[in-house]
Amino acid sequence: MAKAFYVFIRDLHLYFGLFISPFVLVFAISTLVLNHPGLAPEKSGQAPATERIAQNVEIPDALERLEGREQVRALQGIMGQLGISGEVGFIRYIPEENRIIMPVLKPGQAITLDLDLAARQVKVQRRSTGLRDALVYLHKSPGPHNVAVRGNWGYTRLWGWLADMTIYLLFFISISGIYLWFVLKAERKIGLVLLGAGAVSFATVIYVIAA
Amino acid sequence: MSSLPEIASQDSQAKKTQRRKFLDVFEIWNRKLHFYIGLYLLLFLWLFAFTGLLLNHPKWRFAEFWPNRKQWRIEQTIRPPVGGDLEKANDLMRQLRLRGEVEWTVGRQQPGHFDFRVQRPGHVVEVKTDFGKGIATVQHNELNAWGVMHVLHTFSGVRIGDARMQRDWSMTSVWSAFMDAVAVGLTLMVLSSLYMWYGLKLKRRLGLLALGLGLLSCLFFVVGLRLLY
Repeated sequence: MAKAFYVFIRDLHLYFGLFISPFVLVFAISTLVLNHPGLAPEKSGQAPATERIAQNVEIPDALERLEGREQVRALQGIMGQLGISGEVGFIRYIPEENRIIMPVLKPGQAITLDLDLAARQVKVQRRSTGLRDALVYLHKSPGPHNVAVRGNWGYTRLWGWLADMTIYLLFFISISGIYLWFVLKAERKIGLVLLGAGAVSFATVIYVIAA
Repeated sequence: MSSLPEIASQDSQAKKTQRRKFLDVFEIWNRKLHFYIGLYLLLFLWLFAFTGLLLNHPKWRFAEFWPNRKQWRIEQTIRPPVGGDLEKANDLMRQLRLRGEVEWTVGRQQPGHFDFRVQRPGHVVEVKTDFGKGIATVQHNELNAWGVMHVLHTFSGVRIGDARMQRDWSMTSVWSAFMDAVAVGLTLMVLSSLYMWYGLKLKRRLGLLALGLGLLSCLFFVVGLRLLY
């Protein structure tokens, strides 16, 4: 019984670990990029943006007065007319010019829409931001900001679920890893020393930073 | 006396044995390091994983920290500092007995004024100075444990696209070194697990399925979305 349990946990540890390993690499590599912005060359500033202007766009009435998800849905209708998809980052209305500016984002690409509500015209600026920004974007997505509109694209929500799943599986893998290590009697002592050393470093550094 | 083909065969055998020995030692240490790294970094890993979850769920009320922060404000006389922006900030922090990472809150300082923020996990301090009056207004925000954890996840002292943000507090460098250690440690654990899995011939097929599924879904997001949609 105990052996069957051990084998079962070991197999789950292996297969779940293999499944999340690409996600773990995405988060690990993007951590290094976020921690050392100079490490990978920035592409976003260099990549030339393509620009086009769409005329006679159907713009819903009183679009500027809508709020939150309702406004996002109305803007997604306009995006549909232009053949654009992605996560609406934020929406900025400029009353003096009766314009709405909003970024539409996806990993590795940034699109800026500039809507002239009176002229029913939309300026579309599309820019490739490269692999580095794609990894960073995914690392921060969906994130804590702009809660009212965040997750307005199906794929952002899907990524959010996958990111959550990666974390839950990481907890399972680390707890099952502790069990698998503890079964190895010969490794217990050194393992305990390392666990203790990690706990001491963790507590010390947090105490010094936060106290 | 051995013949030349025999010597060559003995040489080849010795090389094979040496290679086998090396692989055995590598396999043992690959496995050991897999859980040694995991055990040392365990608490760091749990912290970053858990706070990642919190950051992705800002609506979870139990982890709210900003509305529950403690605030107080003091005014203190100061000596006008000299030097560059960072030197001025450091001088003022010494006078005001503050420690932490300097963040720039205004693009361009107004003449006679110097404003900045000092941050460390659990503490956000807004400093506004008026050199004409020789006064600094210091707004303290003290966060609860959830706030400390939130900030620890992102406390690197740098920001992509903002060259002005540089690590200027030694503890920020220490913490970001731990962030790096977790990232590198996780990468090593992934690589060592791939090696160990590949050695298990009976588990290759199902393992390949699990890895392939993860790889495809990950690649779909990293490169596929921008190409397909």
